[in-house]
Amino acid sequence: MALFTPNLSFNTFTYNSSLFTLPATRRRFIRCPRSLKLRASLAVDSPSTSATGRGGAAELLLEVKDLSAVITESKQPVLKGVNLTVREGEVHAVMGKNGSGKSTFVKVLVGHPDYEITGGSITYKGQDLLEMEPEERAVAGMFMSFQSPVEIPGVSNIDFLNMAYNARRRKLGQPELGPIEFYGYIAPKLELVNMKVDLLNRNVNEGFSGGEKKRNEILQLVVLGADLAILDEIDSGLDVDALRDVAKAVNGLLTPKNSVLMITHYLRLLEFIAPTYIHIMENGRIVKTGDISIAKVLEKEGYKAISGT
Amino acid sequence: MLTAHSVAISIVSSIIHPPPTALTSQSISSCLPKLIPGSKTRRRTEKARVFTQSPTLAVLSDPHVLLLAETLEDSLQSSSSAPLPPLQKLRDISAQSLLLTPWPSRKDEPFRFTDTSFIKNSHIEPISPSKSRSLASLPVLSDTLLPLNVTILDGYVVDSLSQLSELPDGVFVGGLSSITSEATMKRVSECVPNFQGDLFWLLNGVGAPDIIVIYVPEGCRVESPLHLKYFSLKGSEKDSKTLPISNPRVLVLVEKGGEIGIVEEYTGVDGTDMCYWANSVMEIVIGNGAKVSHSYIQTQSLGAAHIKWTSVRQESTSIYELTEVSTGGKLSRHNLHVQQVGPETVTELSTFHLSIGDQIQDLHSKLVLDHPRGVSRQLHKCIVAHSLGQAVFDGNVQVNRDAQQTDAGQLTRSLLLKPRATVNVKPNLQIIADDVKCSHGAAISDLEDDQLFYFQARGIDIEAARKALIISFAAEVIGRFPNTSVQKKVEGLIRKLLDPTIPSG
Ligand SMILES: Nc1ncnc2c1ncn2[C@@H]1O[C@H](COP(=O)(O)OP(=O)(O)OP(=O)(O)O)[C@@H](O)[C@H]1O
Ligand SMILES: [Mg+2]
Repeated sequence: MALFTPNLSFNTFTYNSSLFTLPATRRRFIRCPRSLKLRASLAVDSPSTSATGRGGAAELLLEVKDLSAVITESKQPVLKGVNLTVREGEVHAVMGKNGSGKSTFVKVLVGHPDYEITGGSITYKGQDLLEMEPEERAVAGMFMSFQSPVEIPGVSNIDFLNMAYNARRRKLGQPELGPIEFYGYIAPKLELVNMKVDLLNRNVNEGFSGGEKKRNEILQLVVLGADLAILDEIDSGLDVDALRDVAKAVNGLLTPKNSVLMITHYLRLLEFIAPTYIHIMENGRIVKTGDISIAKVLEKEGYKAISGT
Repeated sequence: MLTAHSVAISIVSSIIHPPPTALTSQSISSCLPKLIPGSKTRRRTEKARVFTQSPTLAVLSDPHVLLLAETLEDSLQSSSSAPLPPLQKLRDISAQSLLLTPWPSRKDEPFRFTDTSFIKNSHIEPISPSKSRSLASLPVLSDTLLPLNVTILDGYVVDSLSQLSELPDGVFVGGLSSITSEATMKRVSECVPNFQGDLFWLLNGVGAPDIIVIYVPEGCRVESPLHLKYFSLKGSEKDSKTLPISNPRVLVLVEKGGEIGIVEEYTGVDGTDMCYWANSVMEIVIGNGAKVSHSYIQTQSLGAAHIKWTSVRQESTSIYELTEVSTGGKLSRHNLHVQQVGPETVTELSTFHLSIGDQIQDLHSKLVLDHPRGVSRQLHKCIVAHSLGQAVFDGNVQVNRDAQQTDAGQLTRSLLLKPRATVNVKPNLQIIADDVKCSHGAAISDLEDDQLFYFQARGIDIEAARKALIISFAAEVIGRFPNTSVQKKVEGLIRKLLDPTIPSG
């Protein structure tokens, strides 16, 4: 979180632009020292965070136990006992066939009203997540980029971001930023995700191309920061350069403290953002967990090669 | 409606040929001045008698309407000089039609959803011009949003509170009696009235103390918009069953190639539930290639009746743009009539109505296209944020036989924020021409859940999200006010109005 306070914004930018020099296939444990070093040079207000390395001692961030959920309207079951544990600093990827419940799972995490929890538990930072309103989850550092972000006619993108940013500032007991200060704060972040300035003045996602919508989600992530960034198919619909930009921005956010949970269908994203674990979801359950090799098998042989049943 | 009217009128002329002695001029009497070149000095009491006694009229006239018309007429008798010809003509025509116009009931299609009994059951008191010299001390009155402005208090222009020094040469703004140019007076006479409306239009025609004329000569562009500030100063207490009435009347006449922006703003001065009745008419005549951009803001007291007519005649290649935001009044109705009288006109109507209390917001619009290649765009939005609130929209677009290659679009969206809030929408396109492009749509909804969730997912609480979405709904129309200070003012106003009424979840 500290990285995203406004007084650091310009540093953050230079830092990020020089960051993405990692070979795409590098694993996280190689990258870690780098981000630690960078972080140390930047995180003026919390040097202690740099001391937390990876390894078994990392704190629990999210713990999902036997989670089951139905669609609110039809009561049709979608999640049928999901188990997942995410510790600080870990990158998790969820893969699985279309319709297996991946998006539903992450939407349930952020409190989407389309779904009703029928069993199990979710603990986030030691708290019962299911007791929290969606907006409380967000200000507590949970951020989900939507697979299909909704358009909001009549609300300008920059106003929306400003509202969201101020909501977080309020929660942190910091003064809110007016429109002009806020513009100063986010202008450098646009370059980070390679987004055109005029998209700020357009209405939220209205008429955005598929790629522009995804970049916009990542811009929100960069501006708001996240302890747990949940990325639902952030790579679909992106051209090669855009994928690189997005991955670069996400990597720029990684610290030993915060974690990523991403959904993808493709090995390519995983080569840019190296996962600690890969999970395979099937029919509303996580049926297999492993490392990057799973994704490679998948890429070659399809789901039948790793089916849990 | 128009047809019904002309039928009625033709009946009138055939039956009201009563014995000459029974009629006098200058009475609502005045209805018949042309029929009887009689004396202008008869006394009021006699005229009144004429009306109640004539058997033919008794059958056709609505006594309530007659009484009201007489009250209005009486109140004007006191003003010394005889009215100038255009005003006289207006009064005569209006009076004549009033004789055959009953008070509208819910059985009449145009008033099916709009109950006017609140006005009918009130005691109506005409307002005489305010004599107070200390008007300028009222802070609202001295507030100037735009450099060119006219203050109209209870229907009367107050010169001392108007700023017109920056008007370009040849442009005239003022009452009929201040017109010095004969040519201008002649044009005004030709144009008044440009149309004939319903009972309320007629009552205004009988009760208007003057015609406020805005005249823009050929080829003249008035750079800064003209702000017409209508204030309702006189009001009665809530539940007093008394409505002081004002009848402001404005004629906007823009000659060939001329251009002007008009901002009409209606407000009450005292308290939020003062009762009064503003019964206003604006007629607009737009010459060839001329343009009028019309902003209309109505924020009357929530105890008021506000009935407004806007009738527009558009000659060829002219442009008329209306942007309206109405939030005030217990009963507020805008009757908008646009008539195309030449080809290739452009008409853009954007309106937003907000009902935040126990009130009715009503827009009745009619756009008649009779010539080729016209373009019309209409967007009407309304929000009803109170369980006793109501909104009515009747939007008629007629594309007649000769209006080939017309491009007409109409869209209406309504947002109901409380259970039992009601909206009655009746968008209707009548297309007789065959080579036209027309589209229309009507949607009534609550806020979109997916959109609300998107805000929440970014940490914004649901109240703030609702508010942002509601404001954005209105912003589409507010953003169309051509003047940015007007935009800002209205946006601030809407935010303030919506703040306490944002429903919780
Ligand atoms: N709101 C909803 N209403 C109706 N059905 C739903 C809803 N949400 C999810 N479903 C259904 O639940 C199942 C899981 O959907 P989900 O979106 O979670 O799949 P997914 O794994 O993300 O698929 P994809 O890879 O195609 O994105 C699908 O069959 C879907 O149609
Ligand atoms: Mg999905």
